[in-house]
Amino acid sequence: MIVATKLRKEFQVRGKALVAVDRVSFQVGNGEVYGLLGPNGAGKTTTLRMVMGLVEPDEGYVEIGGIRTDVDRAQIRHQLGLISTNDGVYPWLSVREMLLYFADLYAVDLDVAKTRLVELAQLLDIESILDQRCSTLSTGQKQRVTLARGLMHDPPVMLLDEPTRGLDVVGSQTVFRFIEILRSRGKSVLLSTHRLDEAERVCDRFGLLHHGTMRYEGTLDDLRAQTGRDHLVDMFIALIREGEGN
Amino acid sequence: MHEYFSGGRLFRLCLKELRESLRDRRTLVTLILMPILVYPLLSMAMQRLVIGVAPKGSGGPVEYIVGAADEDGARVLASALQDTARATNDGVRPSIQIRRQKASGGGGESVVLTDGATQGVTSGSLQTNADAAFSIVIPERGTIQDALRDGNVDLAVTRASREQAAPDGSLGLVYQFDMEFREGDGRSEGAMLEFRKAMELVNDMQSARIRSILPRVRGEVLAPAVRLVSNGTGQQRDVFASLAGILPLILILMTITGAVYPAIDLTAGERERGTMEAMIATPAPRFVLLLSKYVAVVTVAVLTALANLTASWLTLSIGGLGRALLGERGLSLSVLVQIFPLLVIFAAFFSAILLAMCSYARSFKEAQAYLIPVMLISMAPGLLTLMPNVEFSTLLGIVPLVNILLLSRDIMTGSPAVLPAFAAVFSTLLYAGAALVVAARLFGAESATAGSQETWGDLLRRPKLSRGAPDLGELAIYFALLFPVFFIVTNLLGGWVKGIENRLWVNAGVLALLFFVVPTVVAWYRRLRLRETFLLRGWSGASGSATVQVARGAGVLVGVVMLGLGLWVIAYEVLKLFSAIGIGPIDLERTAELERAKLEFSAISLWVVWFTSALVPAFAEEYFFRGYVLSAFRGRVTRGRAILFSSLIFGLFHVVSGSQLTLERFMPTVLLGVFLGFLAVRTGSLWPGVFLHAIHNGLLFWLTRFSEGELTQWFGRNNEHFSVAWIGASLLMVGAGTMLVFYLTANRFDENTP
Repeated sequence: MIVATKLRKEFQVRGKALVAVDRVSFQVGNGEVYGLLGPNGAGKTTTLRMVMGLVEPDEGYVEIGGIRTDVDRAQIRHQLGLISTNDGVYPWLSVREMLLYFADLYAVDLDVAKTRLVELAQLLDIESILDQRCSTLSTGQKQRVTLARGLMHDPPVMLLDEPTRGLDVVGSQTVFRFIEILRSRGKSVLLSTHRLDEAERVCDRFGLLHHGTMRYEGTLDDLRAQTGRDHLVDMFIALIREGEGN
Repeated sequence: MHEYFSGGRLFRLCLKELRESLRDRRTLVTLILMPILVYPLLSMAMQRLVIGVAPKGSGGPVEYIVGAADEDGARVLASALQDTARATNDGVRPSIQIRRQKASGGGGESVVLTDGATQGVTSGSLQTNADAAFSIVIPERGTIQDALRDGNVDLAVTRASREQAAPDGSLGLVYQFDMEFREGDGRSEGAMLEFRKAMELVNDMQSARIRSILPRVRGEVLAPAVRLVSNGTGQQRDVFASLAGILPLILILMTITGAVYPAIDLTAGERERGTMEAMIATPAPRFVLLLSKYVAVVTVAVLTALANLTASWLTLSIGGLGRALLGERGLSLSVLVQIFPLLVIFAAFFSAILLAMCSYARSFKEAQAYLIPVMLISMAPGLLTLMPNVEFSTLLGIVPLVNILLLSRDIMTGSPAVLPAFAAVFSTLLYAGAALVVAARLFGAESATAGSQETWGDLLRRPKLSRGAPDLGELAIYFALLFPVFFIVTNLLGGWVKGIENRLWVNAGVLALLFFVVPTVVAWYRRLRLRETFLLRGWSGASGSATVQVARGAGVLVGVVMLGLGLWVIAYEVLKLFSAIGIGPIDLERTAELERAKLEFSAISLWVVWFTSALVPAFAEEYFFRGYVLSAFRGRVTRGRAILFSSLIFGLFHVVSGSQLTLERFMPTVLLGVFLGFLAVRTGSLWPGVFLHAIHNGLLFWLTRFSEGELTQWFGRNNEHFSVAWIGASLLMVGAGTMLVFYLTANRFDENTP
């Protein structure tokens, strides 16, 4: 369960204050997939970072499983998994070594980690490459390793930052399947993306960010009612035009 | 935090970093290939430098002219050279000519003398190996030193006065020579090296022969067949010293080089590979992440240092260059054993610097751009150590890099001075700690605050929120800055301020400044709540009625007085105990100095002494060590460890007093620190400690007013120890005082745990 309340973040760029996120609130329930959508520069990544506790909000707060991120940051991080577009692998480590390394970073008990490794390897079809150096993996294999990495500590909340960017159809399918697994396990998933077609397929609810503010929020039906348009893409174009008109 | 230090987790985290580094080919290149290539090349270059422009001509041997003082000396010399030649020529003892040099200008005419020990005169010079041949001349006019100076001979060799001729085949010296050569003259230095090589051959033959006869003979019985005493000119040692400076510089540069690649790879490399964010997003504390990387970088650096030491040792031993550079003993194993820990300490320091620099970089290229200037800048002071007359002074002992270089040089050429050596090691470790703290702060900062520009300045910026105690990082940085200042000031003052009374005042001023004024300003700037940080509050406790509080407060003071009356005797005995087992023996000279000081002391008003040496130090040192230092440990380690760590730091600072290293003060000061820490922890207040400290110091200085006779009479001191009765009474006093304080106080220290 994620509860974000009135998040606000300002950055100083060359002496000028730039509001990246302004009073953004949303909730993600257990077993729910929430799409945080918006064009580039809308404030998605900053919002995600505030949820992670990597960036401290100037105002507002985030609660994960009832704990505020500014109260017990370490505890919050145990609850969170993170998978992002830019995630890399360690070229000189084997897949097994890398996954166990992350289990250690999350202070997972070694025996538990080893059991989970076997389970995740089956789930994501990486059993055959467990002892291969990461530098020898294909893009698809690397992606599956990254997905497995996000689950090594079995977090109740998963943050996905543009997880399909740069992936082909097969790669994207793997991600969708992964999201389905997360949903079926009752995890709260916060998905940030600008691929609206994908979002429409996998998300239960949406939040449309533009210029750092939450413009529309709700299920697809809610959004349709609010905007009078059928598809996310159309809603977006309207939003951006509106912004240009200002 | 705790879960990262248990169950081998930290070890596994370090292992991951090490795997990453050591599996990378680029690391292995600097680790293995570089030493293999560098030292032989270097050795060749050095040979050229030392031997100079030895003209090899058509590939035949260079003929050197060796000057002998008289005929007798010449014959012994000839005999020694013949022995060498025999060793290389299947046992045939060839003949040699000894010429008498008539004029001191130019070669002149020569009168040829036949060496009486051989039959037949066949050759003008004697070839000892493929590269060198010697001819022996005796100058007719002037000394051989004149001939050497005028360039008529390449080498002047005289029989040493202590020479004992020993019959062939027996133990002991056969030949012993003094050699002189022209410093800076390639030909003359070449002659020296080749002659030395030839004589060593005889030496080895002699040893082998004796061992074959007496296989169980002990090493020390085998006096060398030839002992060379190079005494040349006064500047000669400097040549060696400056050359000896090169080796540490190269070793250290190579060690740095070994650390550079892993440091970049494990920090900026993580960013570039896109693994940084996932790592930073885990609950693992940044310090743990950085520590594991630090361990890996230091390990690689130490491995590089080992590889380089081995390679340099092999090269220098095989080529015989070691003796040329470092004198008779060459690069011995014991020198290596002494140099290695220095390299480890330096690796610990420089790895932290590298990590701090690289942590800030966003990419490999950026990291390299930062590091290259740093490497170049650190080269500059390194070159300073190559200058012949740079002495390893106390002040240079705290200059990073230079101190380790000079210490290594002095270890190689002789025994280094103790105080600078201590300063070098201690300050380098402090700098390493501070650099590690800075690195931990910078590490991952960029990915944590994307969009904002985190800068180095943030480390020095004023925090927004007030706190009740400094953190350990601040403490490490403060120490790294404080120690050099403290060291410089106490050293300089010893020289500048004349007269004991003036020195007392200045010392008190320095203590007040460094331990009271500066920490207060720093604490204010860093928004530390002064009252909590420096324990500025009452000691009587808050519970109970006013009367109970007053009674309890008074009781604590009684306990403190008891401690004060007993502790100095115990501290004195601890001091004696450690002096007796050889830790910092109080040598006679120092005792005499103390006696002189005592005389001068008695002329100064006791009030002045008490104020400057008891009251001010008691307050300033308590303020800093029990305030700032102890507070930094509060809530981060157990109370016992907090007391112990702060006492060890307290002890270390007392080891440096003026320009002397008073190691014997360490244990007594630590002991005192433990009691002072105990008081601070139990009462939560600075004042009882200040009181105890003042009593302790005041009592000691008051006692200096009395003569040795009076003291002996009172304390029954026998052989500089207190009587058993006094020691027993003091122990009882300390025990009772401790119990009293313990029962009257609850632990109030943790009340402000951050």
